[in-house]
Amino acid sequence: MLRYILRRVLQMIPTVFGVILITFILFNVVGGSPAAMTLGRHVTPRALEEFDEQRGFNKPLLMGWWTPTRAYDQESFIRNAGPWRQMDGVSFEPAADEEQPGKLVLEGGREYALPLAFSLKPATTYRVAVEYRMSSKAIMDVVVAQNGATQEVVAVPFSKDWKKVSAVFQTLEKTESLRVGLRVAGGSVEVRRVELRRRMTHPFDSQLLFYLRQLARLDFGTSSSLNQPVSRLMLKGAGPSLMLTVPIFFAEIMISVALALLCAFFRDRWIDRLFVVVSVALMSINYLVWIVVGQYLMGFKWGWFPVWGFASWRFLTLPILVGVISGLGVNVRFYRTIMLDEMYKDYVRTAFAKGVSRSGVLFRHVLKNAMIPIVTNVVVAIPFLYTGSLLLESFFGIPGLGYLGVNAVNSSDVDVVRAEVFIGAVLFVIANLVTDICYAWLDPRVKLE
Amino acid sequence: MSSKLHVPNSKSKSDSLGAGRESRNLEPGTSNLEPQGRSLWGDAWKQLRRRRLAMACLWIVGLYTVMALYGEGVYRWSRFKDQTPPYQQQNLEAQYQSPRLWSRHPMGTDGLGRDVLQRLVQGTRIAFQVGIITSLIAIPIGVILGCIAGYFGGRVDDFIVWLYSTFASIPGLLFILAIAMVVGKGLLGVYLGIGLTTWVGLCRLIRGEVIKHKTRPYVLAARALGLGHTRIIFRHILPNIFHIVIVTFTLRFPSAISTEVFMSFLGIGVQGEPSWGIMISNARLRLWHGVWWEMAFVTLAIFGIVLAFNLLGDALRDALDPRLRTSET
Repeated sequence: MLRYILRRVLQMIPTVFGVILITFILFNVVGGSPAAMTLGRHVTPRALEEFDEQRGFNKPLLMGWWTPTRAYDQESFIRNAGPWRQMDGVSFEPAADEEQPGKLVLEGGREYALPLAFSLKPATTYRVAVEYRMSSKAIMDVVVAQNGATQEVVAVPFSKDWKKVSAVFQTLEKTESLRVGLRVAGGSVEVRRVELRRRMTHPFDSQLLFYLRQLARLDFGTSSSLNQPVSRLMLKGAGPSLMLTVPIFFAEIMISVALALLCAFFRDRWIDRLFVVVSVALMSINYLVWIVVGQYLMGFKWGWFPVWGFASWRFLTLPILVGVISGLGVNVRFYRTIMLDEMYKDYVRTAFAKGVSRSGVLFRHVLKNAMIPIVTNVVVAIPFLYTGSLLLESFFGIPGLGYLGVNAVNSSDVDVVRAEVFIGAVLFVIANLVTDICYAWLDPRVKLE
Repeated sequence: MSSKLHVPNSKSKSDSLGAGRESRNLEPGTSNLEPQGRSLWGDAWKQLRRRRLAMACLWIVGLYTVMALYGEGVYRWSRFKDQTPPYQQQNLEAQYQSPRLWSRHPMGTDGLGRDVLQRLVQGTRIAFQVGIITSLIAIPIGVILGCIAGYFGGRVDDFIVWLYSTFASIPGLLFILAIAMVVGKGLLGVYLGIGLTTWVGLCRLIRGEVIKHKTRPYVLAARALGLGHTRIIFRHILPNIFHIVIVTFTLRFPSAISTEVFMSFLGIGVQGEPSWGIMISNARLRLWHGVWWEMAFVTLAIFGIVLAFNLLGDALRDALDPRLRTSET
């Protein structure tokens, strides 16, 4: 038994790893940094960089030495010269196709400082790379000057065709006076690409590692819309969510099992048929309709319950009612199927044959055996209690996890959504594990091998 | 609602966790061996024809399809003519007109004087788009991965089982919303969100069936003839298990529609076009002022299509695969 449990726990690891991978792919690889979306359009590059720094988005995705920086992030020039357009001696030549990057023409006899949006990180290695083409007799150097003194000059080899050159430099303790420039003498130089990259301390210092470290610390980041640690928000939201979902859960099971038993008892009589028809109809009514009509009729028209808020138990009654009713159709149908499955087993026929009454068979024999699939269904549903009901919470103003989640999706609060997805998935995996162990423990037919 | 025969149901939520379906070794379509040679599909169609309720559902689905096509036509035509489509035309003098059957607005107008019927038809168009496109994403993923996993087994199988159990463990609606958030608000987010998360169930079913079929004599014969794996999977095995795809399509259609209604209602779905979710969201507040018709007609529309698809799906399941039969009247 112990070996079975151990093996089952080991099987859990790849799934959890898979969940980590999927959340990483979804939010980091596909989504990318939500900084611009969250902070809005009119925000300094420095604020964006700080946002990224806090959430690890300014690192390479999986691995690598070099990462772009928002201090200079316009690497090629589409339609205009970008941050270079204010500079004297710079002119922009668009490409024949407007959508293709054009090029900058730098006049001779000037020095052009790289237009940085904010000063670079101190004591860090950077690399500047330029793709250029020279007219005859042109000379170009990459110049790095810090603290008033020229620190490094890299002479760029002459080339009539497009050529790429890069220079690596290290920033000092103070970077306010840092100047990275292109010094052009003689003829003019055409530039079609300029890159500035920051060097990581080690190549695995990546977003993936950052995420894994965060998870290892059980730190789920900071909500960007509420400016609070996500773990605190989640703990705060779990209570109201459970207060809503736990009663729904138990009421749902009890009512639907009772109705299913009733159906099984009166199988193929009008009452059973009525229940089947009603449950199919209930299944087809949209959840939203229950909420809206419930709020309208019981909250507004008849004034039985308050419609919005979370102050006393009365605020929970209506959402619980709606939650129970909306799930009833599916559940009654499902449990009825289970009961009827059991009804055709041999032991039931035997019980009838030896003269046990109909209700005796139903309650003492069928219900007991039908409990196995019922319990599985129920246990697997438990982790979903924690997310609460997204819709119920957001429309009855219950400050639980569902409400938090819907708001986070609406304000693209990546950290909150990611944490909810991740924790929900882990709880599901754990619930599955518990179900399987209970099975192995209770049901001798489950093979332990 | 005809068959009185209750076949013990081996398909339940509990066994969907594993591949343990040992109780289903009844062969489907053994009638194929009879001399007159009815096909499984012909047989299923005959069964379906006999069920009046199922046929009624089929008609309802057809009616909605016509409505959706008409909606698509109106949408395309006004795009082509570059004019405000009729369902967006505002008329502030005709606000909140209650429905009158033989008037210009048989289902009344909303708060901006827009015709509810026209908007309802557009909602049908969006719902069908979502149902079809998400199926076009989810079904190929499920079928292909399921076939590969079941047929090749071994490492490939392990990988695919790992993949789908990972997907299955992520809470559904939240996952869909997260994908939609990453992709951005709009229909694309709805398509990808629903499409990329709902292939798991089908993949599981297909994998289980392929595992059973790959040791059948007809597959062994095809192998002995030296046919390629792709050909065996897609030309020999897949046609024999295709009924699962049909039933899954019918049953996932209404749930995709409902999810779209949710998402649009929450403001993450359709933008700037009338969809059922947006209509409910608008009608919700007006309901409190006694404007019941928009809410009522949208509710009825959703109810009708979801009910029709659910009943049709059950009937199809009974007709195509007796082993999956829900023990129902």
